[in-house]
Amino acid sequence: MKAAILRERSGALLLVSPVIIFLAVFFLWPLWTMVTAAFVDDAVSKVLPRTAASIVSWNGQGVPSEAAHKALVQDLKAASDEQALGEAVRRLNSAASGFRTLLGRTIPAVKAAPDPAQVDLLAVDPRWNDTRFWVALKEAMPPYTDRNILAAVDMKRDASGGIVAEAADASAHRLIMLRTLLVAAMVTIACAVIGLPYAMLTASVTGWKRSALLLAVVLPLWTSLLVRTAAWFILLQNEGLINRALQAIGLIDSPLPLIFNRLGVVIAMTHVLLPFMVLPIYSVILGIPRNLMSAAQSMGAGPVRAFWRVLLPLSLPGLLSGSLLVFMVAIGYYITPALLGGANDQMISSVIAFYATGTANWGLAGALGLILLVVTTVLYAIYGRFSTPQQVPGA
Amino acid sequence: MRPFIQFESVSKAFGSLTVVNALDLAIKKGEFVSLLGPSGSGKTTILMMLAGFERPTQGAIYLDGKRIDHLPPYRRQMGVVFQNYALFPHMTVAENVAFPLQMQRVPRAEITRRVERALDMVKLEQLKDRRPSQLSGGQQQRIALTRALVFEPSVILMDEPLGALDKQLREHMQLEIRELHKRLGLTIVFVTHDQSEALTMSDRIAVFNAGRIEQIDNPQVIYDTPRTRFVAEFIGETNLIEAKIASIDNRIARLSLGAGLSAHAHAADGLSAGQTASFSLRPERIRLGMAPEGSNALDMTITDCIYHGDHMRVQLTRDDFSLVARCERLAGNWTVGAPVVASFDPSDCTVLAQ
Amino acid sequence: MFRALQTTFGIAVVIFLLMPIFAILPLAFTSSVFLNYPIPAYSMRWMHELTTAEVWRTSIVNSLIIGGGATVLATVLGTLASLGMRKGALPMVGLLRTVFLLPMVVPAVVLGVGMQIFLVRIGLASTYLGVIVAHAVLCIPFVIVSVSAALQGIDPSIERAASSLGARPVTVFRRVTLPLALPGVVSGAIFAFATSLDEVVLTLFVAGPNQRTLARQMFSSIRENINPTVAAAALLLIVGTLCLGGLGALLRWRQGRKTAAAVA
Ligand SMILES: Nc1ncnc2c1ncn2[C@@H]1O[C@H](COP(=O)(O)OP(=O)(O)O)[C@@H](O)[C@H]1O
Ligand SMILES: [Mg+2]
Repeated sequence: MKAAILRERSGALLLVSPVIIFLAVFFLWPLWTMVTAAFVDDAVSKVLPRTAASIVSWNGQGVPSEAAHKALVQDLKAASDEQALGEAVRRLNSAASGFRTLLGRTIPAVKAAPDPAQVDLLAVDPRWNDTRFWVALKEAMPPYTDRNILAAVDMKRDASGGIVAEAADASAHRLIMLRTLLVAAMVTIACAVIGLPYAMLTASVTGWKRSALLLAVVLPLWTSLLVRTAAWFILLQNEGLINRALQAIGLIDSPLPLIFNRLGVVIAMTHVLLPFMVLPIYSVILGIPRNLMSAAQSMGAGPVRAFWRVLLPLSLPGLLSGSLLVFMVAIGYYITPALLGGANDQMISSVIAFYATGTANWGLAGALGLILLVVTTVLYAIYGRFSTPQQVPGA
Repeated sequence: MRPFIQFESVSKAFGSLTVVNALDLAIKKGEFVSLLGPSGSGKTTILMMLAGFERPTQGAIYLDGKRIDHLPPYRRQMGVVFQNYALFPHMTVAENVAFPLQMQRVPRAEITRRVERALDMVKLEQLKDRRPSQLSGGQQQRIALTRALVFEPSVILMDEPLGALDKQLREHMQLEIRELHKRLGLTIVFVTHDQSEALTMSDRIAVFNAGRIEQIDNPQVIYDTPRTRFVAEFIGETNLIEAKIASIDNRIARLSLGAGLSAHAHAADGLSAGQTASFSLRPERIRLGMAPEGSNALDMTITDCIYHGDHMRVQLTRDDFSLVARCERLAGNWTVGAPVVASFDPSDCTVLAQ
Repeated sequence: MFRALQTTFGIAVVIFLLMPIFAILPLAFTSSVFLNYPIPAYSMRWMHELTTAEVWRTSIVNSLIIGGGATVLATVLGTLASLGMRKGALPMVGLLRTVFLLPMVVPAVVLGVGMQIFLVRIGLASTYLGVIVAHAVLCIPFVIVSVSAALQGIDPSIERAASSLGARPVTVFRRVTLPLALPGVVSGAIFAFATSLDEVVLTLFVAGPNQRTLARQMFSSIRENINPTVAAAALLLIVGTLCLGGLGALLRWRQGRKTAAAVA
């Protein structure tokens, strides 16, 4: 009896484990890598372990002791991994500008010296007298940092270690997050305003009309996202169909700016996400007994009252789960803003992509990614609680 | 020597819920036994233990003298007909029927021959290339039966096989199955919750209640002398009246029924004088207007009369004591309000423990 | 009055939903170098460009290689997992399912950043295998949803029947379970392929110049210098996905008929 259950269970486990392993390695681990990239800061301490050990006791005043100088020289002499050294230099240079040229002179000198114990850093470059560089070196030593996550919300640590706001012009992450939420909210509202009546209309007609209305929702879902974005490009550009048509009927003289601005992004994203609003509402309305509206009307409620008091409240769960879904997908959107938005319409995903692929600043990309991931996960959890189990959109 | 099929104190529990409780059941070769009981009484579970889809929590099951409760279903050689037929939707009728023969590695030519013969027997040969979805419910039922029979299993198990059919077709299939049973000498275990189906088809009926057998006997005994209140109520219709036993003599009890009436009745085991018991009397055993020698005779009043087409139901009352009688027709002068003598034989009614 | 309003609204939304798709298609056959209307004359110029220009041709081939690889990988893994989760023998199946669907929810850019760092570390950055694996992660949920639905549609008593008729477990799987689940597996594979075909963001992060897919090529073409080849590519994608979608619908319809029969 027990053995049979055990056998069945281990068989099932055998079938499921390849996916578990695959997703653990190629999904969860990469996500974890991204999160750690935001917090791990061992580029310098890995390459300069002796310096790290000797500089901890330095009080940050003047220049550290001779021992620290010796340790640094030894570390530089011993550093053989060019790539790691390069990482460390980049990290230090981002903390104190000029570090790259300083090390660019120091490293060859140290490497060339026959006996590292004889090298005098101050003789190699007088800038080693500058406290600034030593402070940067000391601060780069702890293997973990909250620098990235603070920078992600426009904060930093000041000289005394307290958390302070970044100078207003230095960074704009909060602004971009607010913009992301704003655009997502606009798209969600647009989808709700169009999607709710459309879903009700779809549910209220029958036969070919219903099929046609549903097909109009499902067909875009089956069309490549790139195709739809390119199509909106064609429609919205200055010489595009919409401007041409408006000019032809004499409504406007010069083209309306529809592309590379907020309006274009919201229109195209609404188009892409509208099915995710319509389908949940539609399935909820389908579940409402057909005669409920008639019952309400038979009890004396006019059609408008019946709508407000019966149909609308009953379709609210669909509206809620559709809105959560649209909002959740919208805040992580990348392609549409990247192609149809202007510089002031870039959302958080674009910024993450910029840090990751543009400047190779993994730490900041990871920190912003973590924020987006947390927000999405929370929304997904809420969505999971609120929405009745139903088909995955698109599936 | 063991009976052909034997359950030996078999129990089955799902978690803390005991569904079958210390069941002892013996079935002879060639016998048609029905498991009858309300929904949830454990009938399907018993059948599934016999077929090998569930394992008993306790006890042993024997087939032909060999213990089988550890064998997987595919080694038990039992033909199972499921409630929803469970035909393979992706195979044709012929492929469905050929399936068990293929499993036994019967040579191809013989499979074709046997499938044809089997389909011929149920007169469905012309449908052999259809898919199950293209068949009517009755046809699907017959194919499921054919598929279970074609590999000549030692036992046929059926779980409410006729439940989904309409009344007329169901009665037709009852006859057909009964006829197959006789002709082929099959051993059949038949699960149903329909008492009339069990009564018409079976050699013996096991009446289940909450995982236990209340009574197992041939249909006539079950109907005429139910041994428990549950059986009396579940099988057919009955007047069940609380009565006091005045005396018992040679298994005939003298009862006081209330309203000053008394009667003699056949008593079940374990009853003694002075006890309060249940008195069970089938409506159709009541005669109106005459009282032959030796029968019980009660003076009653007709208080209601309901027309049912082929029979009438007559409500008889005396003070707070009432009975329902069933009769073919009413004599002209008996109208509602008229006095009448109701009589019945002591052997036609039973006294049961409360 | 209310009626007319309803009809107008319905038609307006349908136009909003469908117009973009239908607007782009004719431009695949324009003779102009600009991707806009009016079309001066019809020509096969850009279709020709799509199939002969080196970047476009290799991107199509890459899409097929990567899509094929990701589909096979995701379909095999997803089908196995669906089979394993089917009978409820595993504890915490609900949690497991949620985790399996997560790749559909996590923003592509987030996964892209992690995937890029990770693949560099294990030496799979800018390789076909790396891109295939990344796409497969996104495809697996679709396969699991589709195959699980198909398996759920199989009446357990059909498999019991096979077993009682003498079929060993392996035979039951081969002769009954697999044929009945196959339409679900195929439509899962179709979803997977369509997902891979349309995937841009992850590809941006993990693919090198040699693994440029059609979608990726369209992305940079729209971004850098948009021309009617994009419309030609769009036509190719639409026709491709419509064929796939039609195939999937056909299979689901057939499956629906079968399971309806099995329930009847
Ligand atoms: N696999 C199972 N797990 C838990 N409970 C079960 C299972 N199968 C049956 N039961 C329970 O056992 C009882 C008897 O079921 P069943 O044998 O199907 O009754 P019947 O066929 O007489 O209607 C029911 O209460 C049912 O809920
Ligand atoms: Mg049952």
